[in-house]
Amino acid sequence: MSMKRFMEDAYQGKARVKRLETRRGDMVFGLEDLADRVGTRPARAEVEALAPADENLLGQLIAAEPGKKYQVLWGYLSSIAAERSSVPLRLPARDFAGLELCRGSIILEEGKDHVGERMKGGRILVHGSAGDFLGQEMSGGGIVAWGCRDYAFRNMRGGFGVVRGNSGNFTGLGNSGGRIVVRGNCGERAGWLMRGGSVRIAQDAGDFLGLLMSGGMIAVKGRAGKRAGWRRKGGEIRAGSFGPEAADGVLGLD
Amino acid sequence: MPDPLKKIEALIASLEELRLHIGKRDLSVGSRNINSQLFFSLANACLRNRAVLLYGGMGANKTTLINLLGTSFLSLGLGDVENLMVTGHPEQTEEKMVGFLDPRQWTRPGSTAVEVLWTLWARSRWKLINEINRFPSGKQNLFLEILQKRKISYAGQVLEPGDTCYFATMNPEFSATYPLDEALLDRISVCVPAMQPDFLAGLALSEREREVHELAEKLPRFTPEEFEALPAYVARVKLTSQVELAILSLLRDFTLCERAPGYDKTQLSGRNPGKGLCPGCHYFNNPEVLCWQVDEGLSDRVRQDLRDFCRAMSFLLHHDGDLEVLKAVAPYVIWHRVTPIRSALESPPYYGARKLAFVFGLVERSINRTLNERAEMNLIFARAVDGEMALDEALRELSAYDDPIARLDFIPSLEQMRCR
Repeated sequence: MSMKRFMEDAYQGKARVKRLETRRGDMVFGLEDLADRVGTRPARAEVEALAPADENLLGQLIAAEPGKKYQVLWGYLSSIAAERSSVPLRLPARDFAGLELCRGSIILEEGKDHVGERMKGGRILVHGSAGDFLGQEMSGGGIVAWGCRDYAFRNMRGGFGVVRGNSGNFTGLGNSGGRIVVRGNCGERAGWLMRGGSVRIAQDAGDFLGLLMSGGMIAVKGRAGKRAGWRRKGGEIRAGSFGPEAADGVLGLD
Repeated sequence: MPDPLKKIEALIASLEELRLHIGKRDLSVGSRNINSQLFFSLANACLRNRAVLLYGGMGANKTTLINLLGTSFLSLGLGDVENLMVTGHPEQTEEKMVGFLDPRQWTRPGSTAVEVLWTLWARSRWKLINEINRFPSGKQNLFLEILQKRKISYAGQVLEPGDTCYFATMNPEFSATYPLDEALLDRISVCVPAMQPDFLAGLALSEREREVHELAEKLPRFTPEEFEALPAYVARVKLTSQVELAILSLLRDFTLCERAPGYDKTQLSGRNPGKGLCPGCHYFNNPEVLCWQVDEGLSDRVRQDLRDFCRAMSFLLHHDGDLEVLKAVAPYVIWHRVTPIRSALESPPYYGARKLAFVFGLVERSINRTLNERAEMNLIFARAVDGEMALDEALRELSAYDDPIARLDFIPSLEQMRCR
């Protein structure tokens, strides 16, 4: 039998013409699958291009436990889901929640490390204490947390951060913009290497407040620790009272 | 000679009436629902030199069912059929299974030829390998040679028992089991999950009042002529051109890989889809394409097994050899031979555990694509092969198709024809 007759016999003139849709390769089965395509430290655009359009599928991806390996992927997906959601998105406490968030709101029962990192807009509310690197490199939007550990709002360029309790060491390290309010106490070296923006502390600040700062404003309602404004090149520091060896030019509150 | 199909139907009815096998009707072929464990075993009894593996937990009536069928088809007592099987355990040796040198030959005067005392199992044409995965991996290699061959060799002697029906059973992985080698799995034609009886089946089985050995005596018996005639009846079943085409396309869908040597996934070692071969390939993550979803390609044995079991199942069900039969049979022929990639298998609704259902989905997708979407490119290729169309024109038209079969199979074939 000729090949043509074999094919005609098989199809019996009923064949439809439809070609393989190569652009349909968007199905993502899980975080591991996503990592296979974009790696474990991709750019946000790469993740956004593959994030499922279906809300349920996206919800399933966010519900998966990312572990250490896929936490950045999970962080991007949490932001994408929050941006698509018309109501604030409630998420479990995990690292990198709200990574590069642009709009929308996220509510966390508790915060882990790197919450709101590189965020550009939107709001993050942490019911409880956040971990290290809260709002690191953020340039817009706002974060409210009940407390945080070290390096909060490091290299901040814009937006605002409110800590309703105590903040750890190195708050506002290297800031060039944005506003930080700490309603409790603040650890050592707040405003270290600060170039712009403002830090307001409602109670006491630790030692080396505004160390090597060159711009911006720090105000402490209570007492600043020792060596406040040490090697300061610019900017302004005001406090209710200062510990020993405060730099020249730091001011008392009126 | 009476119609053997009627006797097979009587056997099926007797197994149920005598409460010897009441399985869940878990497989649909067209409008009929059948018990896959029973019907694939019967299909294998109608074929020769094919192997069926029943896979499931303890007490799922795997071994007993095969022995009961042997009782009927070989017209022997159940005890005699049980003597024909070998059971896996680490101390099992080739001598115990196949045969051993007759020590009496060296005391006989004038004896020159080596004599082997072949075991009942070796001489039998109904071979059951019970608990095959309890054989240590090295000893499993013995079956590589025996399965699908008509000869057994030992100490330079060759035994030719003739065309044989092979069956095997195995439990899921337990502490005393060993994994089956891929080459051995490829020699197993069909793997069927043996399910535990459901509620109603359990109720019916509890009505069994006599011992299995006594009840087995009541099963219909085949004469040797009837048993021998079964493969000829099966061979008379014609498969439609659609089925033949769907089988060829199914094999190519599983086997073709743009990144494998010769586009043949069976050539891969080390790197495969599950170990990061596919990211960046434009077929990757396209649910319509099968290549990236399983690690292994399919060997030509799969094609032979698909054709034989489609015929046998059509024969047993009085059904045409059409696509309904292929869709029902193909997953059981393929699923034990492939490893789906984890991310695909672990997503709902498979949860990493429903591999057979996953393969059912792949088979369905391949067959549907072949029938509904590949007609035009298949006809272009056919016309070019038959010389009704210029090769250059066919190549130009086929290059517009982004189907793996067109790109990796048809176009290279036509280019070779052009170079001749």
